[in-house]
Amino acid sequence: MAIIGVKNLSKHFKVLNRHEGLLGAARDLFSTDYRLVKAVDDISFQIEPGEIVGYIGPNGAGKSTTIKMMTGILKPTEGKIEVNGNVPFKNRQKNAQNMGVIFGQRTQLWWDLPVIESFKLLKEIYRVDQETYDHQMGMFNELADLKALYPQTVRSLSLGQRMLCDITASFLHNPKIVFLDEPTIGLDISIKARIRELIKELNRTHNTTIILTTHDIGDVEALCSRIIIIDQGHILYDGDIKRVNQLFGAYRTLRVQVRPYKGEQTIDQVRQTLVERYGEDRDFTVRSREMGWINITFRQDEMPLLEVLNYAMSRLPIRDVQIVELALEGVIRRIYEGALQ
Amino acid sequence: MFANLVHYGRLYLRLEAQYIKARMNYRVDFIVSSIGMIFSNIASLAVFWVLFHTIPHLAGWTFEEILFIYGFYLLAVSPAQIFFDHIWQLRYHLMEGTFIKYYFRPLNMMFYYMSEMVDIKGFAQVVLGGAVIAYASTQLGLTWTAGRIGLMILTLFSASLVVIAILVIASCAAFWTLQSYSILALAFRLREFAQYPTTIFDGFFRFLFTYIIPIGFIAFYPSQLMLRPQEASWLIYISPVVGIALFALAYLVWSVGVNSYSGTGS
Ligand SMILES: Nc1ncnc2c1ncn2[C@@H]1O[C@H](COP(=O)(O)OP(=O)(O)O)[C@@H](O)[C@H]1O
Ligand SMILES: [Mg+2]
Repeated sequence: MAIIGVKNLSKHFKVLNRHEGLLGAARDLFSTDYRLVKAVDDISFQIEPGEIVGYIGPNGAGKSTTIKMMTGILKPTEGKIEVNGNVPFKNRQKNAQNMGVIFGQRTQLWWDLPVIESFKLLKEIYRVDQETYDHQMGMFNELADLKALYPQTVRSLSLGQRMLCDITASFLHNPKIVFLDEPTIGLDISIKARIRELIKELNRTHNTTIILTTHDIGDVEALCSRIIIIDQGHILYDGDIKRVNQLFGAYRTLRVQVRPYKGEQTIDQVRQTLVERYGEDRDFTVRSREMGWINITFRQDEMPLLEVLNYAMSRLPIRDVQIVELALEGVIRRIYEGALQ
Repeated sequence: MFANLVHYGRLYLRLEAQYIKARMNYRVDFIVSSIGMIFSNIASLAVFWVLFHTIPHLAGWTFEEILFIYGFYLLAVSPAQIFFDHIWQLRYHLMEGTFIKYYFRPLNMMFYYMSEMVDIKGFAQVVLGGAVIAYASTQLGLTWTAGRIGLMILTLFSASLVVIAILVIASCAAFWTLQSYSILALAFRLREFAQYPTTIFDGFFRFLFTYIIPIGFIAFYPSQLMLRPQEASWLIYISPVVGIALFALAYLVWSVGVNSYSGTGS
């Protein structure tokens, strides 16, 4: 039995075309000059209990709007949603009891209170019994080691610390479903890794269903076996991440800094070195987008990353290297170009 | 139902205890704002005093009677100030998109929203209002029989609901327009007219303040009932109905606003 069922769901916003100036503002009061934004347009999917689903797509794709409908904030323009046997918009409170939500960087903890007080208040709000509470808090401590933060006010936490607290708090009442909308946005790499680890463990221990939206393909790779890709309100892909990976994730970009850097000449030098090793017909590109840095993009299955790195280091005067995570935008563009068909 | 009330009651006390504890970390802030509140009220009282030095009556009401109305007004506006203070931030939450979090808990949204703030200096205002009433009624030789006390409580309760309802309705404009501040400011100004006898206004305004925006019910009509029952209009006897009906309307407006809010895109 699916825990979330979405069928032919749409959300259209009527947006006023605003006019400028004072006269314009007065005109707007009586204006009927609307434009329709189809934020979500006829999407359907089902999610099974215990799944972690990556819901991904570029900015403005309609991800948050879909989540707002699944959590009961927004009423769908058309279509059906069932979450946990409830219609979210009609049974908001009942739905909330079995749900955890994170929305970007907006904390849901009490800003001026010590972290631990937020947990105690949530215990009260969700009527969590003492035994469950102790058990959950013990587990959070093991997973995220938050004890040191308990006496601090939420206001005083760094963004990353706050997100760790927010995420654990959203699991306190042991909800069946947790929605995470951009939980890693604006965080640095090391805290991202901790957050991914935490989410993974929380899913594993209680078999919690998790819907995760993100810009960062790294989050998806670390956590999801299934992804749903949405763009301009339409679902482009729904399925196993491995298939997407075989087609696109195989591309890796290695960034190197070669000294001395002499523009085109250095870029050619790098290209020639790689051709010597791999031949002309391999699928790789060497470009420079930024002074001093050269990007080498290649297929991981044809040219293993570490091998390329070792080889380049042995043959070229390399000063610095970076391994670039594949940008989601790139994956989506490729899907658009029809690579999945 | 009862268990639910207990749950909400406990939660509220817990939240406010925590909130007050947190505010106490800014003790200076609290003391300064309370002193500010007391001084601005003393300034109002001073205006009355100067006024009555030059004219002995205001639309037939003596200084002590006006004081009584003012004390009643202070008590009537206090619950709105203490328990509904967060309503002033509504437009910021709506503009910033931070309002969204209030949808995520298995709680009544109005309760959850309002529970996030309590204005402690309002308690000082209750004390001040009580003192003003005590003084005025001593001067007027009013005796506090059980019946009168009961009447006082009942009319105060209704008056508080009227104040709360007007404040909530005006604030809810923010759900539909970005220009909501002017509406809220207007409501706040109008509320201040409640300190004066509604009878000093002529036909149009008296009608307005009685039937349309019933601020006459905040202090004047109930005080009239205490001080000059023979002059009191029949309207005062329906004041609990007015209070409850207006609050129900405010709750309805809030609910419609909450359901029609579409969130800022993010
Ligand atoms: N309340 C709203 N009113 C009007 N348009 C909106 C509103 N919320 C979102 N949109 C529009 O709907 C589209 C999808 O937005 P959103 O779901 O926030 O995208 P995402 O989360 O994928 O970045 C965007 O074009 C956005 O501008
Ligand atoms: Mg979004």
